[in-house]
This record gives sequence, C-alpha cells and structure tokens, in this order.
Amino acid sequence: MTAIATARGLTVRYGEVVALEAIDAEIPRGRSIAVLGPNGSGKSTLFTAAVGLREPTAGSVDVATDRIAYLPQQMAVDPMFPATVGDVVAMGRWGDLGPWRRMSGDDRALVEAAMEKLAVGHLARRRLGDLSGGQRQRALLAQVAAQDAELLLLDEPFTGVDSPTEEAVRDLITSWRDEGRTVMVATHDLARAARDYDLVLALNRRLIAFGPAAETCTEEVLAATFAGHVARVGDLLIETEHRHPGAG
Amino acid sequence: MESLLLEPFEADFMQSGAAAAILVGILCGTVGCFVVIRGTALLAESVAHGVLPGVAVAVLVTAGTSGDPDRAAVLAGALAGGVLTAAGTAVILRRTRLRDDTATAVMFVFMLALGVVLISRVEGFAVDLTAFLFGDVLSVTGWEVGLTAGLTAIVLALLWALYRPFVLVSFDRRRAASLGVPVQRTELALMVLLALAVVVGFTVVGALLVLGLLIAPPAAAALLTRRLPAMMAVSAGIAAASGPLGLLISWHFEVAAGAAIVLVAVAAFAVTAVLRPAR
Repeated sequence: MTAIATARGLTVRYGEVVALEAIDAEIPRGRSIAVLGPNGSGKSTLFTAAVGLREPTAGSVDVATDRIAYLPQQMAVDPMFPATVGDVVAMGRWGDLGPWRRMSGDDRALVEAAMEKLAVGHLARRRLGDLSGGQRQRALLAQVAAQDAELLLLDEPFTGVDSPTEEAVRDLITSWRDEGRTVMVATHDLARAARDYDLVLALNRRLIAFGPAAETCTEEVLAATFAGHVARVGDLLIETEHRHPGAG
Repeated sequence: MESLLLEPFEADFMQSGAAAAILVGILCGTVGCFVVIRGTALLAESVAHGVLPGVAVAVLVTAGTSGDPDRAAVLAGALAGGVLTAAGTAVILRRTRLRDDTATAVMFVFMLALGVVLISRVEGFAVDLTAFLFGDVLSVTGWEVGLTAGLTAIVLALLWALYRPFVLVSFDRRRAASLGVPVQRTELALMVLLALAVVVGFTVVGALLVLGLLIAPPAAAALLTRRLPAMMAVSAGIAAASGPLGLLISWHFEVAAGAAIVLVAVAAFAVTAVLRPAR
C-alpha cells in the first residue's frame, strides 16, 4: 500500500527559528494518526507544509492526492461574516466545483450529510457568527466534511469546545477512518493520543517516534516529545506543564 | 414637492452627474462589501490616496506644466497608482512581517507624499488638487458616464465570475488554500477590482471621500442582512440612492456635491445602526 503523504528531510525555518527539522515519514492510507507534541513543536507547520501554504526550507513533502482538507487551529471567524451555517458548509463543495459549476444533487447530498453528521442541520439558517463556540466548530468541521477529502488534517480540533462537540468530533474522526480516509489530528492530549488513534507521530521539531499507538507512547518517547514535562501518575502519563494555546 | 425633487434634474449637468453617481454607487457599494468583510478599510483608503502620484504623472505627461490634461490618461494613471499601492503593501508585508496596518500606512503616506511632490510641479496645481480630493461630479461629461458604465459592468462581471474564490479568501485564507484557491492571485485580483472602483469613484466624490461610498453602505447593509448576496444588493441600493439624494441636497442648499453624496450614505448607516444595533 502506497503512502498518501511522504516527508523527506522536511525542514522549515521561520527566520532564525527552526520549526521542523529533517522530518522523514510516510503516512499510510486509511489510518487515524495523532500528531502529538507540545505547543511550538511544529504540528501546525507540518500541516501547512503538507497543504502547500508553507514552502519547505529544505527537503520536501509530497501528498499523493489533491483531495486534501485542512482545518486550521482556532479559526477566528468574524462574527459579522455574512454567511449562514448552510452557506458555510456549502462552501466546502466549492473546491470541487470551481468558480462556476453549479451545485448538483450529489453536492447538495454531501452538504446535507455533513450537516447531519455534525448535528448542525437545525442551525442551517443561523448566521455562523451567532453560534456558540462548540456549534461554530461543528459547522466548520461540517464544511471540512463536505469537502469529501481523502486526507484530512485537523489542527487541535478539540480546543475550546464543549464535551458533546468533543464526542461528536471523535466519532467523526473514527467514521472517516472507517470510510478509508486518512485523518491526522494535531493534539497535545497524551492519554487520548494513545487510546483513540491507530498511529501516533510524536513531534518536537524533530520526529521523535512514529508507529502504532501502543508501541509509540512509551515513557521514553513521551519524555523526549514533551522534553521532561511528563510525569507518571499510577498508570497514566500526564503532561505537567500545560502551556497556553498558540502557534503550534 | 415634485418640483423640488425633479426640477433640479432638468439641467444636463445634473442628469450626467446623477447617472455617474448612481453607477459609482452601485460599483462602490458592491466592491465595498469585500472591503468590509475582509476588514481592509485602511487599505482601501490607502489605495484611494495612492492614485494621486498616478494622476500627477498623467497630468505632467499629457499637459506638461500647464494646459489641459487628457482625462483618459488621468484615469489610467490613477489606476496604476492604486494598483501600485496595493502591490507595494503586499511586498512590504511579505518581506518584513510587520502588522498589516503598519505596512499599509507606510505605503499610504509614501504615495500621498510622492503625489503631492509630483503635483506641485504642475502650474495651478491647487485647482487640480481640489478636483482630485473632492471630485467634480457636476462636470462629468457624457462620454465619462459611458466609460463609468463600462468600467462598472466590467468590475461587476469579474466580481460575479470570481465570486467563490473571493468569498473563500475573505472567509479564511488557509481554508481557501485547502479548497484549491490560489490565494495570492485571488487577493491580487480583488485588489485590482478595489483599485478600479476607487478610480471610477474618485472622479465623482473625490479621493478623500470615495472611502465613504466603499464603507458606509456596506456597513449599513451588514446590519440589515445575514448573507453576502443580500448584503451586496442592499449596499449597492443604498449607495446608488445616495447619489441623486446628495445632488438634490447640494442643489437646494448650495453645498459641495461629492461631500453631500457621502453624507447621505453615512446618514443611512447612522439610521441603520440606531434602529438595528448588533445583537
């Protein structure tokens, strides 16, 4: 089975700051992957490089599909943006339709299904800016779902959402994986990374480890990933220094 | 009553002026929606003043230091100045990582100062400068109304053709890129349309006040609507109506026409803001 995305010596610097250094990884198709690391470990940079928003300083990242969907971390949507939830989700189809093609019945079905999956159908006529944080995140995820992508990159999708939304997003990730899509989720939630995903990619500017969740989430790897900010409490590994969300 | 409203428009110059003001209103009211939803009012203002050096060069080239400038050349120069301002701002942003408003303001004052320096080479520049800053809607000729109509049609057609990419980059650049939109080229296209709207607009209300037609009607429309197509329609309506209404005020009270048009547009916003405050 061929990889859906391949990084070779991928290095990204912002001026003096090294965000990613010499990453080599092959992302297999049809898996859910937790991209685990503290803030500033290069998780967002990895995603923006994969989407083509950030040019590698050295090395390369190749994505073997153009059906790639990326949800940035904590999108700040202008509360006055003139679009309803229905409009916002439908925008997810515009990538396939291009500037001119009209929505077909199939497109509408994808939009409807996405809204249903994320339980925002009843909000379709509300303005995006009038929703709560959790509802807004679900609407944005519905837009991503409507994109019908093969590779999905979600950057900290659980930040600042209520627990029903958190559960809905977790179900969504599993169902995407079951449909044969590849889902990469940036997170710093240690416990969840080990439990909820097929693979864990531990990142701290360099690639620390990449493999099946159970084998990868060893104390050694996590200590290297979080640079000493983990502690063992019984059977649980806990990130002891929880930094503020920011550029990851 | 009827005579108060209709009699002024029996004069030819009032008819051409009203036609030009309506066209400019439709154009700025529509394009301005993208300025408002993208939060780029300062950039729009900068582009409006950035046309000045272009105008100055056109005047110097076609009229020398005295005589009558070629009006088509003035429009072309203005457009070049506006696009240069937008492009220069983009270059500063890419090279320096300064904040948007700082980069925009630096380019703004550079173009304004350059414009004033150039135009001070033109004899009798005070007259030209006044027309440039405040517009001269009542001296608009028939062919200029035609040109305005043509440019308005072109800009609206482009806006219609590239509506989806424009909405996506305004919504979120990263989501737009993920949906296959060439973000930088799309933003450049949006800048060019803004510059065109400014150039067409400044002949009517002047460079100082064209921002009024780009911002006030969309701001009012944003409070009245929830979806972009409706916002654009309402905004264009408010801006278009401001033209003839402003001219009537100008006629009856003998005040500056361009400024009266903008005052009507801002009054529409004020009334909306009082009646429909943000929830």
